Amino acid sequence: MKIISGKHLSRRAMLKGTGAAIGLPLLDAMVPAGRLWAATTNGRAADRTRLICIEQVHGAAGCNDWGASQNLWAPAATGRDFDLSPTSLRSLEPFRDYLTIVSDTDARMADAYAPSEIGGDHFRTSAVFLTQARPKQTEGSDVRVGTSMDQLYVQRFGKDTPIPSLQLSIENVDQAGGCAYGYACVYTDTISWASPTEPLPMIRDPRAVFEQLFGAGGTPEQRAERLVTDRSILDWVMDEMASLRRQLDPADARRLDQYADNIRELEQRIQRIEAQNSGGEERRIPEAPVGVPDSFEEHVKLMFDLQVLAFRSDTTRVFSLKLGRDASPRVYPESGVDTPFHAASHHGGREERVRAFAKINDYHVSMVPYLMKKLQEADEGEGTLLDKTMIVYGSAMADSNLHNHTRCPLFLAGGANGALEGGQHVRAQPGTPMANVMLSLLHKLGADDIEKFGNSTGHFAI
Amino acid sequence: MNRLLAALLATGAIGAGFAPVPSAPDGAVPARGSGDGHEDAAARVRAVPPDTVQRTRVDPNAVVEEYCTRCHNERRRTGNLVLEGFDLANGARMRPVVEKMIRKLRAGMMPPAGVRRPEPAVIAETAAVLEAEMDRIAAEAPDPGRRTFQRLNRAEYASAVRDLLGLDVDVAAFLPLDTKSANFDNIADVQMPSATVMEGYLRAAGHVSRLALGDPEAEPASTIYRIPRVASQKDRAEGAPLGTRGGLSVVHTFPADGKYVFHVMPYAAVEGEVFGRTFGAEQIEVSIDGTRVALLTIDRWMSEAEPTGLNVRTDSIHVTAGPKRVSVAFLRQFEGEVDDLIRPIDHTLADGQIGIGLGVTTQQHLQRVTILGPFAVTGVSATPMRKTIFSCRPTSPLEERPCAREIVGALAAKAYRRPVADADVDGLLSFYDQGAALGGFERGVRTALQAILASPHFLFRFERMPASEASAGAYPLSGPELASRLSFFLWGSPPDEELAEAGATGALTDSAALAAHARRMIADPRSRALASRFAAQWLRLQDLDKVHPDALSYPYFDQTLADAMHRETEEFFAHLVEADRPAGELLAADYTFVNERLARHYGISGVTGHEFRRVPYPTGQRRGILGHGSVLTLTSHPDRTSPVLRGKWVLEVLLGAPPPPPPPDIPAFEETAAAEEGRFLTVRERMEEHRANPQCQSCHDVIDPLGLALENFDVTGAWRTRDGGNPVDPAGVMYDGTELASARDLRDALLGLSDVYYQTFAQNLMAYALGRRIEYYDMPAVRRITREAEAGGYRMSAFLLGVVESQAFRMARSGALTEDDPESGLEAGSH
Repeated sequence: MKIISGKHLSRRAMLKGTGAAIGLPLLDAMVPAGRLWAATTNGRAADRTRLICIEQVHGAAGCNDWGASQNLWAPAATGRDFDLSPTSLRSLEPFRDYLTIVSDTDARMADAYAPSEIGGDHFRTSAVFLTQARPKQTEGSDVRVGTSMDQLYVQRFGKDTPIPSLQLSIENVDQAGGCAYGYACVYTDTISWASPTEPLPMIRDPRAVFEQLFGAGGTPEQRAERLVTDRSILDWVMDEMASLRRQLDPADARRLDQYADNIRELEQRIQRIEAQNSGGEERRIPEAPVGVPDSFEEHVKLMFDLQVLAFRSDTTRVFSLKLGRDASPRVYPESGVDTPFHAASHHGGREERVRAFAKINDYHVSMVPYLMKKLQEADEGEGTLLDKTMIVYGSAMADSNLHNHTRCPLFLAGGANGALEGGQHVRAQPGTPMANVMLSLLHKLGADDIEKFGNSTGHFAI
Repeated sequence: MNRLLAALLATGAIGAGFAPVPSAPDGAVPARGSGDGHEDAAARVRAVPPDTVQRTRVDPNAVVEEYCTRCHNERRRTGNLVLEGFDLANGARMRPVVEKMIRKLRAGMMPPAGVRRPEPAVIAETAAVLEAEMDRIAAEAPDPGRRTFQRLNRAEYASAVRDLLGLDVDVAAFLPLDTKSANFDNIADVQMPSATVMEGYLRAAGHVSRLALGDPEAEPASTIYRIPRVASQKDRAEGAPLGTRGGLSVVHTFPADGKYVFHVMPYAAVEGEVFGRTFGAEQIEVSIDGTRVALLTIDRWMSEAEPTGLNVRTDSIHVTAGPKRVSVAFLRQFEGEVDDLIRPIDHTLADGQIGIGLGVTTQQHLQRVTILGPFAVTGVSATPMRKTIFSCRPTSPLEERPCAREIVGALAAKAYRRPVADADVDGLLSFYDQGAALGGFERGVRTALQAILASPHFLFRFERMPASEASAGAYPLSGPELASRLSFFLWGSPPDEELAEAGATGALTDSAALAAHARRMIADPRSRALASRFAAQWLRLQDLDKVHPDALSYPYFDQTLADAMHRETEEFFAHLVEADRPAGELLAADYTFVNERLARHYGISGVTGHEFRRVPYPTGQRRGILGHGSVLTLTSHPDRTSPVLRGKWVLEVLLGAPPPPPPPDIPAFEETAAAEEGRFLTVRERMEEHRANPQCQSCHDVIDPLGLALENFDVTGAWRTRDGGNPVDPAGVMYDGTELASARDLRDALLGLSDVYYQTFAQNLMAYALGRRIEYYDMPAVRRITREAEAGGYRMSAFLLGVVESQAFRMARSGALTEDDPESGLEAGSH
């Protein structure tokens, strides 16, 4: 039995049924009361591109030879005149002007480079997606891969918002078998890395996401009081840690220092939230969602609602979202396929089974239009949030059956403040690293001091 | 496969240079003490001093050269291992490899079937010599190992809060999921620091402190309890009043005295109408601590399409603060089965579609209950938590601060799991002052409690280095630190007063006292955590949640049954600990623990009610955990059994020898024909077709027979003699050549590998106890624990005490600064 606590809930929320696609309509009102955040002085001053990176785990049906020949992932034509109807991206048709498909890039850092790494693809590929770096094979704390692209963006431009970034996941991570063959579980648990050695845990419970975004407490006074208390506790915790540190051996002391850095970051978050709250705008705080929904679709949509909400209130501008796990036995009945995900992914190259896996891909991609619609509905004055958001959606696995990492699925969506033209399909030259695309995206996002990203060999014209 | 053939063809006479000895009674046991000497034999074993291997007549180097290097050579590098030029004289430098060799030899896995192998006695002797040398090296330079400090994980946090405040808290709403390593959730080094985690603890501290003291300023909030779609609601829920069915019964903590509203929502059928409306009118009773507070009638013509949806609510009801049992359940209208023209389905919501038609089981199901409140708060009544916290009550303003000091000091000592200094309490009292200034005495105590719950002393389990230690030495843990290790190991929670006292006075540093405490704790009901935390993780019981057997093939399988299976294995393990049974009973027991639901599933008669009780298995079909529904289900696919998953489970969990990863592009099982010549093929037949691929065969010859031996158990662990209409054939040949004709043979074979089986158990126990993965340098201790347990017939207490008494448990070693220095080394992948 799931026990989920939430903050107070409106009558409307209680009356709402649990149809498959409920979302959180009540969250729509969650912007500073009176006027839009983006219209405030602070908001206009830093209207940076919002970034959402989504991992569709374990490749796509259209990324094996036969699937590609049938255009199950990417359309046949490049340029502007492409036909989405055979592809898993067809649900994006209404947003084709906001869509940039980049096909045939490689994520070779997920390959095996040592005999012991052979067969470990499931347990390192997620870590490669946003880092395009090679995960070190270890089960200990000496994990190492690369700083992920979302975090490179955050480190340059994420300081203006109360929360630099949030990491979300849909599937549970505490089951055995999620990680094996000499790879630490954390490589499969998250796609965001603050540094090559600092994985960021992903949050699965929408309510926890909500409280991180908006804090606890019902009235502005209560929230302000709680923030003051929290901050003074954190101050004291820092002092306690400093005196503890002297009694620890050097390795433990270093780990404690990492915690101290986390505490410092939390203090800063609280200060920024306080500053935002005391900015003269009485902000209406939304009502909390109610825990992890049973259905995949409901869960994903709730997470999307929260992202839109966070963007609208400018609480954070960067999200990463992991949709599943490679080895998941989850069944997606709504996709029309009742084979468990992992079994379906090992389609053996057989045509009808490849098509069945494609249906699961269709289903996963079909979540994205919901997000885009919500972003589009958020009018920010000089444009919609969709115009200001960059969505990166893909996988570092290509053919899930062969576990290869060439010609991986990837598309970009949103206007990204003019950085993405949209309405096009670009096919990469064989052997082009996905890292090149990400490097170019980082430059488009303003991080043009970065010369190399992961195994990038150059830029990629989008 | 070619490799194996080549090796097979190369088979010649047993090489000269050593002669296998006939197995002496204790021949397979590594020589430890002194005995009659065979100088000539020992002399050949270059690395090993004579007094440790007198009975040995094999030269391990020669055996390795003779039998291992055909595959493990520079050219082939089979298994990424080269054993050419192996010399045990260099054993100190090869301990990780040698320990792996020992495991493979002891498990009978090497040399593999089909290649030339020495006599079993020679293999055993070789393993014994390797073990003796490893043990000798370890004895010369004992290494207790090290780990960084542990952080309270979700389960430990919940039990620490329960111990401290008597409050059950839902940690899932605050703390991110624990990262696992070696299948346990308490491994220190993978508990990575992050702002998200610290934010979770901080938020939890605010929430828990309010809930514990009650919050006269509590604002209305909602708590939602959901019932999974696949839970059975035909019978009374545990804890709900008699005469009810379905629904739920939970202990809910009310934050203040005030009015609360209860919202209930039934499940809907596909078009939004109430599921089960054909059955007729139903009433739902809301009760608090057994007293009915509301009776709601479910309007069967409600629909999600209506503006009011499927929501039904009570009037506002006055409830006082504190934990109360809230039950929300349907009134039971009759006994016996509901009419069902298809077949009785326990979770009648298996398919929402069937709720529409007549003639099938369609009862209403409760979907969720929301408790909303408090409104019109009148204060905070006495609660168990408040009684625990308020050890004194100020009667005048002058008494307030001294009383606060007493309360805060007591809470801190318990939370910090050590005696507190004045400075500790002074720091906390500044939070009392801060809170008291805003809202008086209680607010002050609450703020101090909030600080305690966010304190590093509470959240982390530090083990401090004595000031005198150089940076790399081994040193004994302090009394309080040892007390914490002990209680988190045996109870999964912080020390109680008695143990804390023994820790503080230094009594635990005495071995006898330490063992006495451990025995007391094992006898205490709290040692159940060994079942619910250790065994559940070791045996992977959490994976039960991943498997949802196909609702049409297994209509009786639901959450209620899955929960009962999980509980069975826990009850069983808890019994082994409590009654100090031999660890071999885990596999061999001719009894188990069932309730009515599970007994029905196993075909055991005469069991009624929710209570779990010990029953003998009526037949010899089931024995031990390999007959438990939990293990058999969690190793199945939704629509068929999986000999591969079952075999892999046996190898990983029971033998500690996980198979290598499968290569990509494996032909899927689903590729095989499901039927042939008009009949369905059995899983076994399809597996055999699957295995015909030589690339797969070498591994699957090891994995599959172990799983095939369990083929008489279906996806849900029910006994079967037919699969797809054909007789089940569980026969096979184990990787070491043992014939397996049934599950029973598998059990016997595993018990026959006693060294490996018991060591794997000890190894897992130790990893969980230490909060770190077990390394090669721990294996001498694992062997010692196992050997000493053998003397008493492998009783559970011998393993538990063996771990507690080990150096690794009682000591720590300082970490070298460069060990995992993030600044050193090159960034992977950037070149």
